[in-house]
Amino acid sequence: MTGTYAAATRQASARQGAAAPPVAPRSRRLRRQGRAGYLFLAPSLLFFMVFLILPSLFAIFLSLSQWGGYDLTQIKFIGVKNYRDILNLHSTFVSPILVNTLVFAALSVILAVVGSLVVAQCIERLRFQGFWRFLYFLPVVATVVAVGNVWKMMYQPSGLINGILNLLHVNSIGFLSDPHEALPSVAVVQAWASIGAAVLILTAGIKAIDRTIYEAAEIDGANSWRTFWGITLPLLRPSLLFVFITQCIAGMQSFALIIVMTKDGGPANATNVAAFEMYQQAFRFGAWGTASAMAMVLFVIIFIITLIQLWISRRAGDDD
Amino acid sequence: MRPALFGRPGRTARFALVAGAAALVLSACGGGSGSANGKVTLTFLSHYGDEPMKGGISKLINEWNSSHPDVQVKQQTVKFDDLLTTLNVRQTGGRGADILSSYALWGGQLAANGVLDKPPADVAKDIAGNYSPAAAAAVTSGSGQVFGYPTEFNTYVLFYNKKLLADAGYTKPPSTWAELKDIAEKTTKKDSSGNYKVEGLSLIQDGDNQTAHPFLSLLNSTGSTFLKPGGESALDDNAKSVMQLESDLVKSGSTTTSIMPTKNFPSNGVAMAIQAGWWIGSLKTQMKGDYKNVGTAPVPGPEAGKKGSLAYAFFTGVNARSKHKQQAWQFLTWLNSNKNTQGVTEMGDFLATNGLIPPRKADADILGAKLQAADPNLTPIYQAADYAMAESNAANGYKAKTSLHNALDKILVNHAPVDRTFNDLIAEINRK
Repeated sequence: MTGTYAAATRQASARQGAAAPPVAPRSRRLRRQGRAGYLFLAPSLLFFMVFLILPSLFAIFLSLSQWGGYDLTQIKFIGVKNYRDILNLHSTFVSPILVNTLVFAALSVILAVVGSLVVAQCIERLRFQGFWRFLYFLPVVATVVAVGNVWKMMYQPSGLINGILNLLHVNSIGFLSDPHEALPSVAVVQAWASIGAAVLILTAGIKAIDRTIYEAAEIDGANSWRTFWGITLPLLRPSLLFVFITQCIAGMQSFALIIVMTKDGGPANATNVAAFEMYQQAFRFGAWGTASAMAMVLFVIIFIITLIQLWISRRAGDDD
Repeated sequence: MRPALFGRPGRTARFALVAGAAALVLSACGGGSGSANGKVTLTFLSHYGDEPMKGGISKLINEWNSSHPDVQVKQQTVKFDDLLTTLNVRQTGGRGADILSSYALWGGQLAANGVLDKPPADVAKDIAGNYSPAAAAAVTSGSGQVFGYPTEFNTYVLFYNKKLLADAGYTKPPSTWAELKDIAEKTTKKDSSGNYKVEGLSLIQDGDNQTAHPFLSLLNSTGSTFLKPGGESALDDNAKSVMQLESDLVKSGSTTTSIMPTKNFPSNGVAMAIQAGWWIGSLKTQMKGDYKNVGTAPVPGPEAGKKGSLAYAFFTGVNARSKHKQQAWQFLTWLNSNKNTQGVTEMGDFLATNGLIPPRKADADILGAKLQAADPNLTPIYQAADYAMAESNAANGYKAKTSLHNALDKILVNHAPVDRTFNDLIAEINRK
């Protein structure tokens, strides 16, 4: 269908081109219109140039330089030394920092996607759907500082969660002080805080599924579980892919929650992730070159993971 | 002919360029000093934004402003947690303040990046000759550059709860590591679920890099140091023995990082803690009548007769990019040497009132004697100024200190093996 339309458009353009003789004033008008178009685009292009392209180019240049961060005249080009320093087996950037980043992203993505899918499916069956969506969206509106501090209090040895565990005769857990528990504990908060946006997207996706497919399944005797696996999940794949990619990127770039909940990426570097380490290298240690090299490595990792997700999705036929 | 949209492109582009350049110049001028009608206004960036420090420093600045109408000082404050970032961002944007207050640990980094002006010879001579050796060392780089006048200066000692020690059968604080381990073990108490009721010895403190300062105090008691003047590791077998001591203490359950001493010591939940002298003021406020149970002693060494402490300081220096460096140094010289009727500098008086050691020796001699007579717990703190190791201020000092904290965290939290952690730490510091 799409191919037919494109062919028809091409043919029409070719006919127009063959029939119309070159008219100089029209061409001038088109050129003038083109200039006007670019002028209208200029503010947004300028915005992207100043706030996206230039900083990105500067970050690439810094990643190949040594700079203390105070005086632009002191930038010293050192080639790939920063990359060599951070990408060797003895570097803490590879382990534990990159490992932590990937584990944190994976945990928060899995929890957020599964959680939002369950919540969206439940909301679909309830009355007052707007109210429930609003309720689950509230954490997205709240600041990370508030969310982080509330959960930090709940995770304390004398906090709500340990209080409940103690009532059940379970010993207190050092959610943020035990290096084995700290990263998953923060990942839970990251997932909880981002579930609202995912719920909105997934409920919209569920609503977009043709009701007649469900009716046909019901007539064929399919139960709720079978309907979910056979209809809802496959037809939600585009929405799920979007949620998956955005959650994955947010998880890998997470910084504010870590700094609020564990302050220094502790205990014992257990919650130190790439974005926090970049901040630390640049603003605390004055190693802007190292921080920029880390940013480039993280960019490449996110880019590759996103490409893999898109490739898997396309193989499954979502590009239709 | 129809005129082109938005006029001629050349004129528009020229206007945009001029407007942009003007905006940049104006914004660059916004944060620094200014001068009009022969009057100079200096900006002073510090972390003294909360009372009582804010009121104290404002009083001194107001005094200067009223007696020096041609050189006015304008205070700018941020929270301590934001101080280094603010220094960095404003300096890069050309909006750095004329006078900077900074943690001495960052001094090497700031000096290496050309942020700090070298003080006049008389200022450097005053600091080297008339200030406590540890305070002067804290604000002097390995190459001998003085960053500025030392201000907040403090030393680390062992705080102990006399009642908890007495309950465990001890009438004196420990004077060796063996005694330290013994008392820590005997004073530790846990409930049936394994939760701490009393922690024997706390090896952490509030704030950044919690484990570093207590470790460095113990390290000083062995006679060894942390970093060489160039920032390379100076950690030796003595340092490894301190790490081993901390490892033994955590394995015996006498210490933990899950209890914050600033919260639990006042409620009799910690028997001993290695902390800075400023803590006395907080303990008095929090413990009220129970403060009588608090004692202080030098941080013990591996053998009897040895003791150690870490000294840290802040400093006030002048921005190398300031247009009024001379006036800025004049103000700082006045701020740190103008004496009150008691014969001590007003800065020294202000610092002592806020629980800090006056870094100028003459001030400490006069004020220290009075304060120690009122509270004997201050004596070990003032005495430590004579033997304490100044915190390293090498350009990589902050990074190295963070690496030290992470290594100690591995020992205290993960129970990591000492040998491997120690060797990894040295390698990490030397990679800079």
